[in-house]
Amino acid sequence: MESGPAKRRKLDHSQDGAEKALESALSAGGVSRSRAFILEAEELLEEARIDYKVAFEGADQLLHKIKGSIEAIKSQEPLPILEAAAKFEKKSKIKIPFPDPQPPKNSNYKVAFAKPAQFNVVGSYVSKTMVKTQKDHSVDMIVVLPQELLQEKDYLDLRYFYKRAYYLAVVANALQKEVGSERQLSYEYLNGNPLCPVVAIQPRAPEVTEGGSGQGRLQYRIRIIPCAPEGFFPKGKLHLGASLVRRGKDSESETPAHPTAFYNSTVAAEGSFLSYLKLLRQTEKKCAAFKKACILGRTWLQQRGFGGDASKGGFGHFEWSILLALLLQGGQKMGHAALSTSLSATQLFKAQVQFLSVMNFSEKPCVLGAENVDLEEHIESGPILYDFARGLNIAFKMGHWSAALLHQHAKWTRSLMSDSSADQFTPTFILRADLPSHTFDLFAHLHYTDVLDEVIGNDYSESRGRIWQLGSKVYRVLKRALGDKELGERARIIHIQTPEQPKWSLSEKPKDQTGAALEVGVLFDPANMSRVVDKGPSAGATAEEKDECERFRRFWGDKAELRRFERDTIRETLVWKSTTPFEICEEIMRYILALHLRIGHLEDDISFYGNGLVDLLSIKPADTTLYNVARKEFGTFERDIRNLDDLPLRVRQIAPVCPELRHASVKPPVFGSLKSGPRPMDCIISFEASGKWPESVAAIQRTKIAFLLMIGNLLENSKQGVKTHVGLEDAHFETENLAFLDVIYESGPAFRLRIHSDLEESLLERQIKDKTQEQYLRQRATTQLATFRRLYTNLPLHNQTINTSITRFPALGPTIRLVKHWFNSHKLSCHFTDEFIELVTLHIFLSPYPWDAPSSPSTGFNRVLLFLSRWDWRTEPLIVDSGNELTSSDRMAISTRLEAWRKIDPSMNHTVLFLATSQEPTGVAWTSLHGEAKPTKVVAMRMTALAKAACKVIREEQLNLDPRRLFVPALKDYDVVIYLNTKAVKASLKTYETVDPANEPSHASSKFKNLDVVTGEAPLPLAMHPGDVLLEQLKKVYGGPLVFFRGATEDNVIGAIWNPGMERRTFRRGMLASYKPVKQKGKRGDDDTMEVDEEEKVEVEMNKEAMLAEIARLGGDLVEKIETK
Amino acid sequence: MPSTPSTLGDFTVLPISIPPLPSFPKPTTHYLYLRHNNPKIPTPNDSRSLFLTNCPVDSTDLHLRSLFTSLVGPGRFESATFEDERKDTAHKLSPLDAAVPVNAVHLLRAHGSTKKRKREEEEDVERSKEDEAARLPSTWARPLRKSGSTAVVLLADEKSVEQVLKACAKLPKTKKYPEWGAGVANKTPALGSVWLKQHNRLCYPDPATLQQAVDAFSAVFARREKEAAEIAKRLRNEPDEDGFVTVTRGGRNAPASRSEAEEARKKMIERAEKKRQEMEGLYRFQLREKQKEEQEELLKRFEDDRKKLEAMRMKRGKFVPEA
Repeated sequence: MESGPAKRRKLDHSQDGAEKALESALSAGGVSRSRAFILEAEELLEEARIDYKVAFEGADQLLHKIKGSIEAIKSQEPLPILEAAAKFEKKSKIKIPFPDPQPPKNSNYKVAFAKPAQFNVVGSYVSKTMVKTQKDHSVDMIVVLPQELLQEKDYLDLRYFYKRAYYLAVVANALQKEVGSERQLSYEYLNGNPLCPVVAIQPRAPEVTEGGSGQGRLQYRIRIIPCAPEGFFPKGKLHLGASLVRRGKDSESETPAHPTAFYNSTVAAEGSFLSYLKLLRQTEKKCAAFKKACILGRTWLQQRGFGGDASKGGFGHFEWSILLALLLQGGQKMGHAALSTSLSATQLFKAQVQFLSVMNFSEKPCVLGAENVDLEEHIESGPILYDFARGLNIAFKMGHWSAALLHQHAKWTRSLMSDSSADQFTPTFILRADLPSHTFDLFAHLHYTDVLDEVIGNDYSESRGRIWQLGSKVYRVLKRALGDKELGERARIIHIQTPEQPKWSLSEKPKDQTGAALEVGVLFDPANMSRVVDKGPSAGATAEEKDECERFRRFWGDKAELRRFERDTIRETLVWKSTTPFEICEEIMRYILALHLRIGHLEDDISFYGNGLVDLLSIKPADTTLYNVARKEFGTFERDIRNLDDLPLRVRQIAPVCPELRHASVKPPVFGSLKSGPRPMDCIISFEASGKWPESVAAIQRTKIAFLLMIGNLLENSKQGVKTHVGLEDAHFETENLAFLDVIYESGPAFRLRIHSDLEESLLERQIKDKTQEQYLRQRATTQLATFRRLYTNLPLHNQTINTSITRFPALGPTIRLVKHWFNSHKLSCHFTDEFIELVTLHIFLSPYPWDAPSSPSTGFNRVLLFLSRWDWRTEPLIVDSGNELTSSDRMAISTRLEAWRKIDPSMNHTVLFLATSQEPTGVAWTSLHGEAKPTKVVAMRMTALAKAACKVIREEQLNLDPRRLFVPALKDYDVVIYLNTKAVKASLKTYETVDPANEPSHASSKFKNLDVVTGEAPLPLAMHPGDVLLEQLKKVYGGPLVFFRGATEDNVIGAIWNPGMERRTFRRGMLASYKPVKQKGKRGDDDTMEVDEEEKVEVEMNKEAMLAEIARLGGDLVEKIETK
Repeated sequence: MPSTPSTLGDFTVLPISIPPLPSFPKPTTHYLYLRHNNPKIPTPNDSRSLFLTNCPVDSTDLHLRSLFTSLVGPGRFESATFEDERKDTAHKLSPLDAAVPVNAVHLLRAHGSTKKRKREEEEDVERSKEDEAARLPSTWARPLRKSGSTAVVLLADEKSVEQVLKACAKLPKTKKYPEWGAGVANKTPALGSVWLKQHNRLCYPDPATLQQAVDAFSAVFARREKEAAEIAKRLRNEPDEDGFVTVTRGGRNAPASRSEAEEARKKMIERAEKKRQEMEGLYRFQLREKQKEEQEELLKRFEDDRKKLEAMRMKRGKFVPEA
């Protein structure tokens, strides 16, 4: 130490105080995001912490009381079980919760009662790892059965469990007398395990909190859990392969007996409460952060719907902490512990998630604490996470499906942890990731009551009950049908949800759950989900091939057929009739479940959910073709332009800039509609750099017109069947873009061309920088430059981005269309740019946490709504980085820019939403237009409110939700509703070059179509849809007093609200709305002294009716009626 | 409305009854406010014109004519100028004003004015002719006025102005408000669907007309460019009254285009930057300083994070897992 280099010391003492802070900064991790994650996790721990003294007030006393009363129970002499049971039930009116099957008539072993060998409080109450947000809080007390009541052979044929049930009933009886007056006692299954009923004691009714004293108190319950003495049953007999339930099978003749893995593990678990308690206690001592890591784990699991209960996946806080403790313990590979005890809570959490994401113990057994233990043969019965030292499969309560889901969730969270650009905290711990509508692409309810007996029969070897057994059969069939690796997996996840067993009263039998439906969730694999033809094994001559074909045929039944493919291969094949991924999956499920399990013979045996949204828009796979046709037509158009010989400049690029040409319009493009003039698709043309452009913006605009006229002429001359029109923009200034060229092909497609001149940009830039210019001119140049960049720079790039993303994510296009439809239905879309909506949707695909990128439009749509409802746009920028190009410092700069905006403009008059992309880091290109925020703050707030309401409905109604409800506009929210006349709007879709609309004969007058002046002439293209034009005019005229809301171009109902700030004003010349004088007689008496003042400040009131009458006049025949609130 | 005041500040109130329409079947009253026109920059016609505010959005010359005729009889109304039309000259650049080469703006502003004054009248006429020729055709058969906007109405003489005001003052007593748009229905271009269809048709003007407008513009632009070049040439040789010679573009060499100059500058900056980067990390002290900077940056970020967290804590519920 002494010899440390002098130079270093010099550096050290230069900043003494800072050094510490630096150290803590460094220890918290290098990257900013993970540092934030740590701090936020700390905050979460703090927030979730329970004050045990307050929350569990009186729990300890109650536990003591219970202990006392159990100890006071008189011992009973041994009696044969049936006799004892009958006697007991008669006397106490309490039902003994014997597990199924009930004890056989000929059982002659005896039951008795004696004082428990031991009491102990276990679980998260003692380790203090409960959190506030937990669904229920329970204090677990184990009561160890005394050894003298048991025999070693009791592990066989449920004998132990009968004795345990009897013991429990006796305890329940005593407690009922003791505390039953103030508290409610009931039976429930421990973790949904039908072998292990327990008694739960909870307050009778929700207590009324008196004043402030009850604050923070929890409605906890106490569970009395009888269990076996530690190590009483020989470990060796309880291994996973043993068959311990031999009854029910008639004789020993049947060989070999089924292994009863679940039963065996339950017996093993009964004897290991204390040893696990010990393990946890030791680990807590060794590792300071253990408890916190457990709380984090509990929250993570809880948000994903996992819990110790078998219906919740069978992996809860207990399993999490045991696994973590085992990983922290020595004796792993090479004798080392997998994790170091000096890690912090978040590090432990991440490590455990990493472990779960690597180990898929539903496919490969995972043994902790020993090597070279092969349990591969038992994996059929369930996932295996084997604690070798205690001889218990920790994951015994899990199904294959829940282990697979856990594995998938861990994988998703891991990929989130490695994505430094995303917010890691919120998706990990805050968001609820267990909603089926957000997680699964398809959801089905199976009704099985008719087939249960046929399929399962009276087989009791599976102790988890018949429903579970059916569930695992369904899973096995579906896994083979949808998750076949040979065919290519259609489903990434198949999940089975078994019904939960609620608690039941002491005097009853447990409620029969067979009426409840079995729920199946499927998450598609985007790569294979839309495959219509499944290619099975090839039909070769070898025995192996034959065998395989045989198996394929056996599984798929008549559906399998032989087909010949390219290169003369003949394969077993399945051909499905449906077209969309959802429908194919439905078809397969209906077919295969009916074939193997006889579920689905009747239509309503299986009900499917999750396709309602798609049906709503009737999104079809064929739509993609229509978009592709549009792209192809565009290609033709591009070629035609490039082939023009006489253009003075060489064409550099022709770029599409409209939603139709990027798979993102609500309706796919259809050409040659007879009902309206052609609606051209926007494109940009740019030429090679040239010095010929005049050095004046206005002159450039005029030159562009000349250019367009020339292109039009050349095109018409060089190509047959092409008509061109130069149209004028609705420009205010000579310096804006003045014109466009509409090119209409006889075959239908139409394009609108605008010219890009790069000199315009630099001229505008120069104008902005020129300090000698007048301020208003510079301001105007700034907005014009923004418009210029938007149109000529950003839009073509945006088109490209969306187009490449569409090929990357098959569900993106339909999702965008759904989201746009939602904006349309709620009349928001006139306030949002198309690009904004598209990028928000893309964001859900690029940063899909806590899930993976959506594979169906409905999950995508639900998640977009979720995002919109949670997006705090006041403080958070939305950063969409499709190419992964932004560095963390870029992101920082974007955030800083938003902060700066908020400082300059705290009331958000100019900048509201902030959406930055890698190509467009200024963040306002898609959320402002012509220098004004689009949307304004009011509208943005409405968007958030609507999204919140929608999410609430989705969450509450879940699968019962009729998706149409999400798209019903709330017309009563508007002060004014203007109904357009559909007919009149349709009639104004067509105009002709030679016919003046004022003199156009009305349709009624001309009886004969062929005598029309109009016939034979092609209509002019639509410069803009008349509905849009009307709205634009209304906005222009009533920009101050009214805010208008309208959806798509076809929307014929316009909503509007009055600006409350303009209701009353002091009178002056040139106001922004129509005003009427106010009666001021009454007021005059009060302020006589203020008379002079009053003369100058006369108040006037908005003349709303007069304005509505004006709108009626403007609209003329277009407006059908105007309704006011 | 019994208590409608006849005046509001120095404005006289003119209530107009609006006939109901099937789509909004409610008779309503619109209020127009008038007073003597006294603009900041007086014009000779001020005394016989009225200043109107709160014009209906569908006002036209004809509407107002019919309105004033109903008040004071025919023959008094001369013309109306609406707010957006007046501003036209000030705000919406006429094509002629726009047709100025950028580099000539300053020159023309400073030196072109003296020449103009001599034959102002003559030039004005020619100017408006050129303006007309270069203007693009309008896309609206009937433009709308902004809600609550103003207009100036020119009447026959001063007496008519007084008569109008008097007639307005009487109105509240008689309750016989003039009706809006009486007798103009067929003379003004229609609104509604015909109006929108006309708009669409007008959006696609005849190519020949367009070509003419563009050509007219180009001619003016070319002339101006030439003028500017000449002035610049002259200035290059003439000292002004203080004896200074103005430095203008285009010396002995051909004038470089401005964008080329900008490009060259960009290249120079790039080169300098490259050189600077090459020199970085050459000395030990540079490395040390860089390290120090990085550390400070790290510290700053840590502080930032903490602050952000503090802010988040303020917003409650951020750290509570959703139920």
